[in-house]
Amino acid sequence: MHLEPFELHQPATLDEALQVAASHPGDFDYLAGGTDLLPNYKMRLNPRGHVIALGGIPELHAFAPEAGTFGSLVTLRQIERDPVIARDYPGLSEAARQVATPLVRASGSLGGNLLVETRCFFFNQSASWREALGYCLKAEGDRCHVVPQKERCYATFSGDLAPSLLVLGAEVDLVSFQGPRTLALDDLYDPRGDGIRRTRLLPGELVVRVRVPPEGRKSRSTYRKLRVRPAFDFPELGVAALLSLEGQRVRSLRLAVGGLETYPRSFPTLTGPLEGTTLTDESIAELARRVQGMVRPVHNTFLAPDYRKRMTEVFVRRALADLRGAS
Amino acid sequence: MAKSASGPAVPPHPLAPASGKGYRLIGRRLPLVDAALKVTGRAEYTDDLKRPGLLVGRLLKSTQAHARIAGVDVSAARALPGVAAVLTGRRFPTPFGVLPMTHDETALAVEKVRHYGEWVAAVAAVDEETCEKALRRIEVRYEPLPVYDDPGVSERPVTEKIHARALRDTNIQKEVFQHFGDVPRAFQEAFAEVKVQGRFAGVNHGFTEPHCVLAEASPDGRLTVWSATQVPHYLLRALSEVLGLPLHRIRVIKPEVGGGFGGKSDPFPHEIACAALAVETGRPVKLLLDREDVFYVNHGRHPTRNLVRLAADEKGTFTALDVEALLDGGAFSSFGVVTTYYNGVLALGPYRLPSFRYHGVRAYTNHPPSGAMRAHGGTNIRYSLEMAVDALAERLGRDPVALRLQNLLPADTQTVNEFRITSNGAEACLLAARDRSRWRERFRQLPYGEGIGVACGFYISGSNSPIHFTPRFPQSTVHLKVDVDGGVTIHSGAADIGQGSKTLLAQVVAEVLGIRMDRTRVAAVDSDTAPVDLGSYSSRVTFMMGNAAKRAAEELREALAQAAGDILGEPPAGLVFEDERIHRDGSPEVGVDFLAAVHRAMEHRGALVASGSYESPPMGGTFKGAKAGTAPAYSFSAYVSQVKVDLETGFVDVKKVWAAFDCGRPLNPLAVEGQIEGSIHMGLGQLLSESMDYRGARLMNPSLLDYKILAPQQMPEVECLLVGGEDPEGPFGAKEAGEGPLIPVLPSVGAAVHDALGIRFLDLPLTPDKVFRALERARREGTARKPPLPGETREG
Amino acid sequence: MTASAPLHLKVNGVPLERSVPPNRILLDLLREDLNLTGTKRGCDLGTCGCCTVLLDGVPTLSCLTLARLAEGAEVTTIEGLGEHGELTALQRAFVEHGATQCGFCTPGFLLAATALLRDHPTPSRQEIQEALSGNLCRCTGYVKILEAVEAACRTGLPAPSP
Repeated sequence: MHLEPFELHQPATLDEALQVAASHPGDFDYLAGGTDLLPNYKMRLNPRGHVIALGGIPELHAFAPEAGTFGSLVTLRQIERDPVIARDYPGLSEAARQVATPLVRASGSLGGNLLVETRCFFFNQSASWREALGYCLKAEGDRCHVVPQKERCYATFSGDLAPSLLVLGAEVDLVSFQGPRTLALDDLYDPRGDGIRRTRLLPGELVVRVRVPPEGRKSRSTYRKLRVRPAFDFPELGVAALLSLEGQRVRSLRLAVGGLETYPRSFPTLTGPLEGTTLTDESIAELARRVQGMVRPVHNTFLAPDYRKRMTEVFVRRALADLRGAS
Repeated sequence: MAKSASGPAVPPHPLAPASGKGYRLIGRRLPLVDAALKVTGRAEYTDDLKRPGLLVGRLLKSTQAHARIAGVDVSAARALPGVAAVLTGRRFPTPFGVLPMTHDETALAVEKVRHYGEWVAAVAAVDEETCEKALRRIEVRYEPLPVYDDPGVSERPVTEKIHARALRDTNIQKEVFQHFGDVPRAFQEAFAEVKVQGRFAGVNHGFTEPHCVLAEASPDGRLTVWSATQVPHYLLRALSEVLGLPLHRIRVIKPEVGGGFGGKSDPFPHEIACAALAVETGRPVKLLLDREDVFYVNHGRHPTRNLVRLAADEKGTFTALDVEALLDGGAFSSFGVVTTYYNGVLALGPYRLPSFRYHGVRAYTNHPPSGAMRAHGGTNIRYSLEMAVDALAERLGRDPVALRLQNLLPADTQTVNEFRITSNGAEACLLAARDRSRWRERFRQLPYGEGIGVACGFYISGSNSPIHFTPRFPQSTVHLKVDVDGGVTIHSGAADIGQGSKTLLAQVVAEVLGIRMDRTRVAAVDSDTAPVDLGSYSSRVTFMMGNAAKRAAEELREALAQAAGDILGEPPAGLVFEDERIHRDGSPEVGVDFLAAVHRAMEHRGALVASGSYESPPMGGTFKGAKAGTAPAYSFSAYVSQVKVDLETGFVDVKKVWAAFDCGRPLNPLAVEGQIEGSIHMGLGQLLSESMDYRGARLMNPSLLDYKILAPQQMPEVECLLVGGEDPEGPFGAKEAGEGPLIPVLPSVGAAVHDALGIRFLDLPLTPDKVFRALERARREGTARKPPLPGETREG
Repeated sequence: MTASAPLHLKVNGVPLERSVPPNRILLDLLREDLNLTGTKRGCDLGTCGCCTVLLDGVPTLSCLTLARLAEGAEVTTIEGLGEHGELTALQRAFVEHGATQCGFCTPGFLLAATALLRDHPTPSRQEIQEALSGNLCRCTGYVKILEAVEAACRTGLPAPSP
């Protein structure tokens, strides 16, 4: 399966990359590992005329686990194999290990996983499949086949790393033509978008690195992934949890889920009140139920949405029970 | 992990084979003869081939599920520089199909399209990019027709028949009624009866090599086609019929095939279309399907609904079986007539069933065509039947192994529909699986959520009635040639698709001639030189090709014995062939080298040639459909599977499978185990997660990401127990092991899940969301508990 | 710049220079341009692993790799395993343990397993499963493949003392 022709740019600096992007507004993609972009290009999903390969920009490869700093082109393989990450941020390590397959992880990058294209049964199909049904909102069309209307796309956020970085309180350093800035990872995703625009990235803005604050190291974290097979599959649900205790009391508790809606989300309003309390089976169960009550999966992946919703409760409960047990 | 029966717990069984005692090669664990080529990347598959001036072929998919083709405008495509030919269905409209009586496929859609993805036009061009551009410039005008996505609708009167040949005013492609004994009466008089309603999603073969074909029409008027096919001979016939070329002007070559499992056994539209492009352009054309096309051309296992009613007397002896089946045939017939029969009659072993009634319907729909897939026609009915036996055991308070043992057919008998049963290792299988699995300590005694289940299987060892049977040619023929170099060339038309038929040929011939296997070389398959073999389907190759090879080798052996006898002055009958020598029995020193005997035999005659063939004996009744399911032998099996179910998520973890299989004498246990293990993986895929996921007529998951073949971590531990006796007619006593091993794994796991949860799942695949929902219901209704332990289980 | 540009690669130890367009996929370069057809095209979308090669020693999906981005890299394909026509211990184990049936997935498995044993000479069964979980096999149920990898580990080790 060949790719349609595009112009390939291989900038050596961030500035150069931003300049190329600025000169082709709306007609470029950044290319990191390629394991998300290239299958989509092969299926003729929104291919662009310009591909800006980022691999030649040294600072994007920065890898300093001790400092909690990870360039956006760090591969998932690097993350899953790193002993410091496994020790300090086990949830991140677990999440990386559960992405797709070892072969995808060899190329797939941290930045690519954070910004992975949302997925839907009606979107991730060949051009002729989509032509047969009528193109959808997310590619060439003007309507949604999942929730019939013309305003919003319901494709599912399918990255595994975002939830585990959300609970670690990660920040992302960005750079655009307007200059550098830093966002909390939580603020990178924009729940008020139309589902197609899902982030607060400016046109041409790049994720340079992800920084994990050192407090994360004092906490225990975990990631649990719902998928039909223990390899290959995107998450039908991903639950990341972080817990640190002071004696019996919760110092910090964070939860985030992915694989359910158009963006990964955390639940500070639910977890915040539990800080300072002692976790019990009952309070964990109650929290899990409330998280379940807040999520709204739709029918656009392999497993039924009601089941994914129900599993949210199970997975949250199990994740917290694990963390409490290990503390 | 997987190993042959070993360890202390298996009592030696009287039927256990002599593990090839007396043979040098038969019964040994032998690596496949082509393995070295495959581990070095040197094995050539169709897509690896290149020819001078090669063009690329591509096909245009239909964007309609059911529509009349009002017009196809290819002028813009033809005008594109680099395009060599553009064809539509009208150019070669002759219908073809694997069965002579149901030709309803065409190379390209002619008057209408019948499923999404059906091919409407074909392009040959200098490269893939140009092909794709050309395809985009083809304008097809469709007039949509009513779409049928449910065989339950298709079997009733319809407003638009998918094919004119469908029965009456319906979309029924084939309907079968059979009745033996008096089923209604047996049910009236029954002490107990159970009813099971099964529902099965369609599944696809999922071979790793996508279909690929290369065709070349040469100036001498011949057409050569290289294709990833399981049946070169049927392809040759179909090409001849559609292209109007005499058979002798067509040459079909089968390179290595990257898996088939039934999915490469029909002649396919893309093969004909590619050949047509080659004829049209006068140049070689290669056509490789993308994975989505592989799912659309499908010919996989039928989406099936069936209803099984089983009656028994107060002792638990089965008295009647009543089966209904409704098969979603998809858009074309394929093997459908056979599939329709098989979905009933393959229930007639291994149990004694004095009365049997069957009503089977295969209806056309606007889904991609269904066809033959490993354990063709035997898988879904077996699941429902074994679930019914399991339910009956529960109803009667019986142990499921004991109930089965009580109802087994003996050896050398006949079923109610006149299947001739010869060797039968069913009992040995059940006993071995029971004992190795420590069934008596585990059944109903594992904690809630864990379970163990048993099921039997039964499959044909080669179809007795070949598809092309008039005049009655042998089903398999093997030719041997030996020249001055002393190498034995084995010509066969049997397709090695990874199962190891080339190895078997080398092994059998080398065994008979007492030579090393590397003195042989297998030439398979080139239709110019290979004698006709009916191909690799219906699990026929070991039995039929094996017998043909053995006979050919025996003929050659006779000639060589004569020659050696001449040299030695010994009577040929007393000579032994071993270690590359021919010598007097008991006196190796009185002998000659194999090569010396070859040279003597060649004097004044030249290269030695020998031929052997196999034709199955006459069998089966005289009623309509009597030949369906008849086979010169049957494999038998019994598997015990153990599972653990996550009670909160519904995930089923299959821990272990004890796979007892009667393939007669296993000629190469390493290869047999490979078939069993692979079958278990494939069967578990159908059970747990694989499905052709249709929403309406649309296939939602035409990719290997969304069509969920199991990952390595999901494979259970497998213990292969090869416990058959020798079959009287199989080569060296062997029977099939290619398809039958798939059958029992599904119901044994289904029964194990029932043992674990008290819930019998009859709707496959058993995805975690389904299991979860059923568990919720059971908990609500207070039925989530282990079924009772029959006293019989522990007594045994 | 959609035009071709020179690409420098070492393929199976042999340096080469090729003019390659930006949209050329590494798999196509290997199979179509370099005639290294041992690398297989199974799904072409990064799922099945049949197209696995070693890119600077790392098992990589050649169907999802732009050839131009392999500039300067060392590519090992199945044709590059073993020396002087000798099979590697792993290849021998695949032959002897029946780990190949149709053989179409075999090159991908061998490259993934080669990298595994290089990094981790004595993996557990579970580690082998994980390492090979990006390669689909439809014939063997993986059993004999795992056995072959384990056997190759054993042959690579000194014999246990009695």
